[in-house]
Amino acid sequence: MNRVHLELKNVSKAVFRKVNNTSVRTQILGGLDLNVDKGELVTIMGASGSGKTTLLRLINRLSEIDSGSILLNGNDIRSHVPMELRRKIGMVFQVPVTFKGSVKDNLAFGINLWGGNTGIETLSRDAGIPEDLLDADAGQLSIGEKQRVCIARALANQPEILLLDEPTSSLDAQSAETIEKLLLDLQKERDLTILWVTHEKDQAERIGGRRLILKDGRLEEYHA
Amino acid sequence: MLEVLALALTVFLVILSAAYARRFGIGKEILLAGTRALVQILILASIILILFDKPLFWSLLVLAVMAAIAGHTTYSRSGKLERGLPVAIVSIAAASLVLLIPFFLMGIFPLEARYIVPTGSILIGNAMNVSSLAIDRYKGEIKNRRSEVEAYLALGAKPELAAAVCLKQGILSALIPSIDNMKNLGIVWIPGVMTGMLLGGADPMEAASIQIAIFTSIFVAGMIASSLMLHYSTDSFFTKAAQLREEMD
Repeated sequence: MNRVHLELKNVSKAVFRKVNNTSVRTQILGGLDLNVDKGELVTIMGASGSGKTTLLRLINRLSEIDSGSILLNGNDIRSHVPMELRRKIGMVFQVPVTFKGSVKDNLAFGINLWGGNTGIETLSRDAGIPEDLLDADAGQLSIGEKQRVCIARALANQPEILLLDEPTSSLDAQSAETIEKLLLDLQKERDLTILWVTHEKDQAERIGGRRLILKDGRLEEYHA
Repeated sequence: MLEVLALALTVFLVILSAAYARRFGIGKEILLAGTRALVQILILASIILILFDKPLFWSLLVLAVMAAIAGHTTYSRSGKLERGLPVAIVSIAAASLVLLIPFFLMGIFPLEARYIVPTGSILIGNAMNVSSLAIDRYKGEIKNRRSEVEAYLALGAKPELAAAVCLKQGILSALIPSIDNMKNLGIVWIPGVMTGMLLGGADPMEAASIQIAIFTSIFVAGMIASSLMLHYSTDSFFTKAAQLREEMD
């Protein structure tokens, strides 16, 4: 029997957006509900500005919900220490940001912070990072390589859930497909729960899983 | 007679520079700044004159007021950060006091108002300048590197660790002018204290020794004040749930 891993109940969020140099309050999410089972892959689509990124930020608490609740394994995420919650719910951003230092330094970040028994070699192999890149300056890598480093860095924390915010949108088609395959393989191998935000319908078709669309602040089942 | 001539030269230079700067649209500002500087320095001289006959407590009180005003200036420069005022005042006052004490403990200066107030004010003024530059740059770095700071947070890093690169850059940028000044000390310029002592007839070696002691103290006070200020300001940029505040966008 599937177990509910992540539950969003009646979640609302407004953000301030600058319009003609004035801050205007815009309701992004309103009464949003979502249940995600352990090991499930959920694809979330939606137009630009529909709140896809905001939704992911709320789940690992980079932003705060205005009302409603988000439960991880049945417990409100606000009852977790934020730093520990973020270790359990990893996030990969649209534009990869590497830290100063070598690829190895980047991969070791989570291990140094949280301990863990995943070796750097295993991580780099799983993320498809060639061994000879480990000592390279992370800032000098191509965007595709940087995104692999960011994925491996997030995996070093051994998260239960991985939030992917359009992780291939800044990559060329070939690199995008390689990263897609990599993430899908990792999901199966590690039984990861994944919420994958994309604005490309073709990609959502390729990825599979449960497809949802964010519209008027709520999630609906998407039918092609 | 000497003071009348010096003040007359000051008034003449302020008026001349203000008149010239009118073409750049800053004539009024220069006139106002020059007048303020003149009035303030005369008030300070009068206060020191009065302090000569008062117990040392009054000198320390004057320094405390100076530190409070300096702290307020840095606080304003920081964009009035939450809890920023007490942090700025305490950082500047503590760093200046720590570097002021050795001059009197070691007997470099006698424990008198005429030495306490000017030496303390140099330390406070510089600590203020360095702290203002540092907090301004720190805030700018956090804004510009928001995605990097959030990438750290998303991995479970505490705010202090997430902002560490920005803090380092803030302190480094603020100290660069002092480091450059230190490198060129005695080659490109003769600093104020030494100039004053030489003009007052002191031995050049004595003037140079005291100057370098004051100079390094100024540098260290600036470094300590800015480090304390930035360290204790970090929390102001984040919420209690370790989220980077939205106004930092």
